Amino acid sequence: MQEASLLELEGVSVSFDGFKAINNLSFQIGSAELRAIIGPNGAGKTTMMDIITGKTKPDNGSVLYGTPAKSLLRLSESQIARIGIGRKFQRPTVFENQSVFDNFLMALKKSRSPLDVLFYRLENTDLERVKVLAEEVGLHEQLERTSGELSHGQKQWLEIGMLLAQDPKVLLVDEPAAGMTPQERMHTTNILKKAAQTRAVVVVEHDMEFVRRLECRVTVLHEGSVLAEGSIDHVTNDESVIDVYLGR
Amino acid sequence: MKTAFKNSFIYKNPSVLIFLSALAILTIGMTILSEGFGVGLVSTSFIKILGKTLCFCLIAIAMDLVWGYCGILSLGHFAFFGLGGYMVGMWLMFARTKDIVINSMVNAPLPPTPNEIRDAVGSQIFGVVGGSEIPMIWMFADSLLIQLLLVILVPGLLAFVFGYLAFRSRVTGVYLSILTQAMTLALSLYLFQNDSGLRGNNGLSGLQNIPGLTEVSQDIISVWFLWASAIALGLGYIIANWLISGKFGSVVRAIRDDETRVRYLGYTVEIYKLLVFVITAIIAAIAGALYYPQAGIINPAEIAPIASIYLAVWVAIGGRGRIYGAVIGAASVTLISSWFTGGQIPNISLGFYTIKWIDWWLVILGFGFVAITLYAPSGLGGLFDRLVRKQVNEESK
Repeated sequence: MQEASLLELEGVSVSFDGFKAINNLSFQIGSAELRAIIGPNGAGKTTMMDIITGKTKPDNGSVLYGTPAKSLLRLSESQIARIGIGRKFQRPTVFENQSVFDNFLMALKKSRSPLDVLFYRLENTDLERVKVLAEEVGLHEQLERTSGELSHGQKQWLEIGMLLAQDPKVLLVDEPAAGMTPQERMHTTNILKKAAQTRAVVVVEHDMEFVRRLECRVTVLHEGSVLAEGSIDHVTNDESVIDVYLGR
Repeated sequence: MKTAFKNSFIYKNPSVLIFLSALAILTIGMTILSEGFGVGLVSTSFIKILGKTLCFCLIAIAMDLVWGYCGILSLGHFAFFGLGGYMVGMWLMFARTKDIVINSMVNAPLPPTPNEIRDAVGSQIFGVVGGSEIPMIWMFADSLLIQLLLVILVPGLLAFVFGYLAFRSRVTGVYLSILTQAMTLALSLYLFQNDSGLRGNNGLSGLQNIPGLTEVSQDIISVWFLWASAIALGLGYIIANWLISGKFGSVVRAIRDDETRVRYLGYTVEIYKLLVFVITAIIAAIAGALYYPQAGIINPAEIAPIASIYLAVWVAIGGRGRIYGAVIGAASVTLISSWFTGGQIPNISLGFYTIKWIDWWLVILGFGFVAITLYAPSGLGGLFDRLVRKQVNEESK
């Protein structure tokens, strides 16, 4: 049970203009684990992701990643992305003017140095890899299309696919099922579950039904710290959770 | 074999072949019609206007790369253009003055010492600003090779330092535009000073006279420069298309559309922006180095903030985000501008008021800009796109 964690936040706090967005938060996740994070608006879910990905620097506390554990606090967003932490935003952000294929290609795990990118030539292995990824997220027939033409759900999958293309060890996914039809949700659940077999996946979600279907440990955030943690049944029966979140 | 062709640069960028052919036809055609090499139907001054226009097209390509593709609205690229001109101008002026001084001393009873020549050159060049000392920055002015290197190095270094500081601090959008305006204004004000070492508001002049080629007439030299400008523009066009057509272009356009997202893909956005900024500054500098020997004179007013704003107007009119759009925009606006302001069309007297085209041209340009923004948001290049697409659609029917 107590395997070494891949990502560990310890006593992290951050405040914006006196408002404590994150308050002494501690959180761990193992290397092949699916975890859902729920919590009311303003609980600090997005801020927590901002801290992990280097967008926001915490006032105190530590963020350690990998073995041997390395602090993420001194790294830039792009460095953190390069060492294996990928993030999907709430609003699907794909590059709408470019083809689905080009979107995948940009995300594909490859050297990010400008010169390597400038002299990059498409190799067959990369082509195959993009096809496999597109198949995985159900976009293999859309590769030639401009990604702006995709439906909302397809854009979400493209973004998840791009995350997988980066081959990260930790995936942070913000509200992947927002605005999806029930069928699309099913598909998204399957993609995430499959991804979690080989890496850590953290899903922030409001939708309890969706979280239930993920069948994973759930962390409840409230006012910037962890309120409860455990199975979905455990947290939904927790008195304090019912008070602040479910029993509104 | 077929797929090899499909992956080739020309296949992916069909405009390159069309553009290079058009440029070649224009250059060869003008040479045949020129006074220097051909039948003399086209005046030397028009050849110079064309050559200068090609230089403007080249800097417009740079502007389109940095703004249209990378999303950095630089309003300071004319600073690099001007610096390129100054760097080559220093050699032109120094070497020519030196030739003149040596010639005038030929009949002196004693041959002049190097120091005497230096003093004479110094007082010839810097007499207008009340000095005769040759400033430090002219130490390489005698060497064409070094000054040509400086055409690339000086603007490149300025762009690097400026870009490094601005991009590292994540200055973007309108704030960055204002900073670039400040940069070109500061440079212009500095050069206006008499002790800047570059002759203050007099600038550098007589640049159309090429040292060592005093016997060659301007009719001939103008055609040479037309060719040089055309070759530079052609190369610039190819390089620009190469930069934007591959994965690098993909990343650069992605930075334009959503910088933050690109960061989370693991790309160090700042380095990419800096690279594009420096490359385009160097292209601008090369354009300037070819422009000023044709214009004959450079002074600090050339790099006033308004010049760089015009540059953005050309690219907007031509349609940003397409390289040929930038060329179409720069060429059409500068050619129409020189037509209106060159005195070819007579002023119209209404009795109570005379329409002077030199004044009214700016009004026309302003209305044109508004009209294009309203009715053809993707610019003249966009209209061109629509025509091509229509044809393709009709063919496929």
